[in-house]
Amino acid sequence: MSGGHEQQGHDGGHGHDEGGHGHGESFVPRRFVLAEFGSPQALLEGTTRMREGGYKDLDTHTPFPIHGLDEALGLGKPKIPTIVLCGAIAGACIAYSLIYFCNVIDFPLNIGNRPPHGPPANIPITFELAVLLAGGSSFFGFFTLAGLPRPYHPVFESEEFRRASVDGFFLSVDLPIGTDADRAVADARAAGATGVELVTESER
Amino acid sequence: MAAPNPAVVSQDPLEPVPLIDGKYTDATINNSLLEHVWRGAGKGWWACFAVALSMLGLLLIALTWTLYKGIGSWGNNIPVGWAFGIINFVWWIGIGHAGTLISAILLLFQQKWRTSINRFAEAMTLFAVICALLFPLIHTGRPWFAAYWLLPYPSVQGIWPQFKSPLTWDVFAVSTYFTISLLFWFLGLVPDLAALRDSSKSKVKRLVYGIFSLGWRGSGRHWQEYRWAYLLLAGLSTPLVLSVHTIVSFDFATSVIPGWHTTIFPPYFVAGAVFSGFAMVMTWMIPARKFLGLKHVVTMKHLENMNKIMLVTGMMVGYGYLMEHFIAWYSGNPNEMGQFFLTRWHGPMRWIFRVMVFCNVVVPQIFWWKRWRTSIPVMWVAAILINVGMWCERFNIVVTSLHQDFLPSSWRNYAPTWVDLSLFVGTIGLFSTLFLLFLKFVPAVAVTEVKELRHELAHDPTAEPVGETH
Repeated sequence: MSGGHEQQGHDGGHGHDEGGHGHGESFVPRRFVLAEFGSPQALLEGTTRMREGGYKDLDTHTPFPIHGLDEALGLGKPKIPTIVLCGAIAGACIAYSLIYFCNVIDFPLNIGNRPPHGPPANIPITFELAVLLAGGSSFFGFFTLAGLPRPYHPVFESEEFRRASVDGFFLSVDLPIGTDADRAVADARAAGATGVELVTESER
Repeated sequence: MAAPNPAVVSQDPLEPVPLIDGKYTDATINNSLLEHVWRGAGKGWWACFAVALSMLGLLLIALTWTLYKGIGSWGNNIPVGWAFGIINFVWWIGIGHAGTLISAILLLFQQKWRTSINRFAEAMTLFAVICALLFPLIHTGRPWFAAYWLLPYPSVQGIWPQFKSPLTWDVFAVSTYFTISLLFWFLGLVPDLAALRDSSKSKVKRLVYGIFSLGWRGSGRHWQEYRWAYLLLAGLSTPLVLSVHTIVSFDFATSVIPGWHTTIFPPYFVAGAVFSGFAMVMTWMIPARKFLGLKHVVTMKHLENMNKIMLVTGMMVGYGYLMEHFIAWYSGNPNEMGQFFLTRWHGPMRWIFRVMVFCNVVVPQIFWWKRWRTSIPVMWVAAILINVGMWCERFNIVVTSLHQDFLPSSWRNYAPTWVDLSLFVGTIGLFSTLFLLFLKFVPAVAVTEVKELRHELAHDPTAEPVGETH
């Protein structure tokens, strides 16, 4: 997949600027060890072993979520629930204060001498807007946290990687500059990978 | 492949019936569920598409006429101030509710059988809500003027919508419902679009599905947040779906018209929505599973479960009808009693009422028998009858209640015009067009979730070999 090229200032700035070659700093491609495992269980064990072996930037690529990978990758608590809660509270507050401002402060309507502020009548819209903003923050919060959409990623360089969304279970290791790639490949094999590949980011 | 009809094979009711029929690997599931996308459109698809498009053309004509002439070209007039516009709105939005029920409520209840049908039903929700939204929009006559009393934007007139009006609640409920359904559907679709991207053979398809899959790479870091995002959207959709039809019912229930002025409306509307929604899922699912080759994931067990839900919700709706009559009698109000015991049963619109009772109360009773519950032709005909019955129910609520209200001197009959009928048929065309496009370009079954389910079943210690258990 040849999409837009996006460098996210990884590992202390080997990202390149607009026309980076002219500024003296040349493009240093990111390298990944891409290891395929035979089953979700093997992937779990392999990930744990690689992490215990001292590799930092690990990620897995699987066609569906696998229980236990969060721990194997050493991930912290998910952030989405907090974001969604904030969205819901914001939605409810915005809706109620909007109604209050419109119908009580700015333009009170006297219909049958009913009070301008009728709390029960405000509940439906308050609820709906809370749901709308909570759902919206769940969706957009997820894509923001995941850094998607991001059409290009070095792991897509591998032809085998096309199976990651079908039936392949992959582990990718982002190698910092100066790391011995051969050692990492050997470690991945020792961790139980059935196929290991070294992929390099393409410049364009 | 296992026997085509597992319900017949399993004699013992306690013995689990397979949810995935036959033995599959991730790759074969992937290929079997995506195959219909790669396969060229057949003659049948083109034939259906041609019919749907011509109905859509009718919609455009009727819409243009409505906007050009105004809503005076519709059949409604005092006392029947609301007619086809609102009937169709309520009918379509109800149809959409089954999608949310299947995808969200059954997810929260961890009903594994939902996995095979949720994508399908969610798409239906989306398209039904699009059809529904059209009606309140055009029934205002000039929608571009309606914006200022529907949406709170700071206009030069300096006035605001009346937030105590159920019609304003409706605007917020339905637009929230559409947005959340769209986000939920798309979020579920992203991993499947990536699977499509990666199994595509041509460069163009790879590029197009690549754009829509947003660069998804199945990252473990993403899955962690993704699962929460998906679960929370399901959790939010559940009260949302209940609130939407409750608010729709408030449009009627907060008024004083006999036949509308009743407290049972919110639960009775929600039950009716689920009832009609499942009927619509069945109407489409039965041909789709045959022609798209989905029989191994949408098994007889799924169809039977949906029939059971129709039986239950059908009886809830029947209870609603009974209660309306009881409360009318119990109130001692002559207008209420007149509406339910004379107008509905014996008035000029009596046939619509009787068809409604037959389709919604009598027809679902056949699902008490396993033999009918597992017979494809029987359930398909029953589903269509239920769709008809639920449309008649909305007709009864809206038109029958209005055309004979309090003073006999102000009673007047109602008849739709060609514009009304074209708009209704036209939205069926819009729905069918969108649905056929969906079936052609997007996997009709949530591939990722079926793979996950297969692994879950495989690792269930109580389970038999993969795919053979429940």
